[in-house]
Amino acid sequence: MEESQKQHYSIQEKNAIFNNEFLPHINSMYNFGYRLTLDQDDAKDLVQDTYLKAFRFIESFQKGTNAKAWLFRILKNSFINDYRKKTKEPSKVDYQEVEMYYNSEEVDRQITPDLRVESLKDMIGDEISNALNALDVDFRTVIILCDLEDFKYEEMAKILDIPIGTVRSRLHRARQLLKEKLSEYAKTMGYKNS
Amino acid sequence: MIPEKNPFVQADGAKPTCMQMLQLILDDEASEEQRLYFKNHMDSCMPCFKSYSLDSAIKQLLKSRCCNDSVPPGLIEEIKFQINQNTAS
Ligand SMILES: [Zn+2]
Repeated sequence: MEESQKQHYSIQEKNAIFNNEFLPHINSMYNFGYRLTLDQDDAKDLVQDTYLKAFRFIESFQKGTNAKAWLFRILKNSFINDYRKKTKEPSKVDYQEVEMYYNSEEVDRQITPDLRVESLKDMIGDEISNALNALDVDFRTVIILCDLEDFKYEEMAKILDIPIGTVRSRLHRARQLLKEKLSEYAKTMGYKNS
Repeated sequence: MIPEKNPFVQADGAKPTCMQMLQLILDDEASEEQRLYFKNHMDSCMPCFKSYSLDSAIKQLLKSRCCNDSVPPGLIEEIKFQINQNTAS
């Protein structure tokens, strides 16, 4: 995924890589784009833009390596460089704090939000999706990559250009926030026993 | 065989917290030895046991409810058309 040796592909090879290694990930890519932007048209633009870039830079991709991670990295960079710049104010999250907290023993003493497995079973609508979408985009991203797309920490570190330790602490914080949201839902839905 | 030494201990000797161990288990990042150790640990650590059930349930719920968007019709054709245009010129 780094600036590896440039490959040389014929046009047939390029098309084969594109069709067999890139396109099979398009639903995941669209889902990622949608979860980042929370807008269907923006997601569509982002996916299209990513695939056009992927084709343009196909010779930096080594056939048979992790195409999905490569594509996700391009999409995430496009999102940051082209999309987020236009729309987003700087993140208010203090990541250093997130990391220090994660590596302290306090992490075990944190109050787990009042949430039970049973109340999750009743969340059959959009609750979980809304809870995810309500997270700050950087927290949302790590949950998407890990829990929806099953990337390993090492792959996530490469996609996001952050150290593995940061992947872990961010993921932990993201899950904690997600649980808080879900427990709010559980409360408003009136699960007295939750 | 349950490992006697905690296999989660880092190279620098830092003792892992329950949450850090749990996370590696949950995300399938733990070694076989670590999994064995944690299974045993969970039997005597209620917070880990509770968090493990809750966290895996959330993980499953996320997967089943947030991955269902498929790409809008026509987008693949549009992308292919664009590429053909670009390569032809
Ligand atoms: Zn424990």
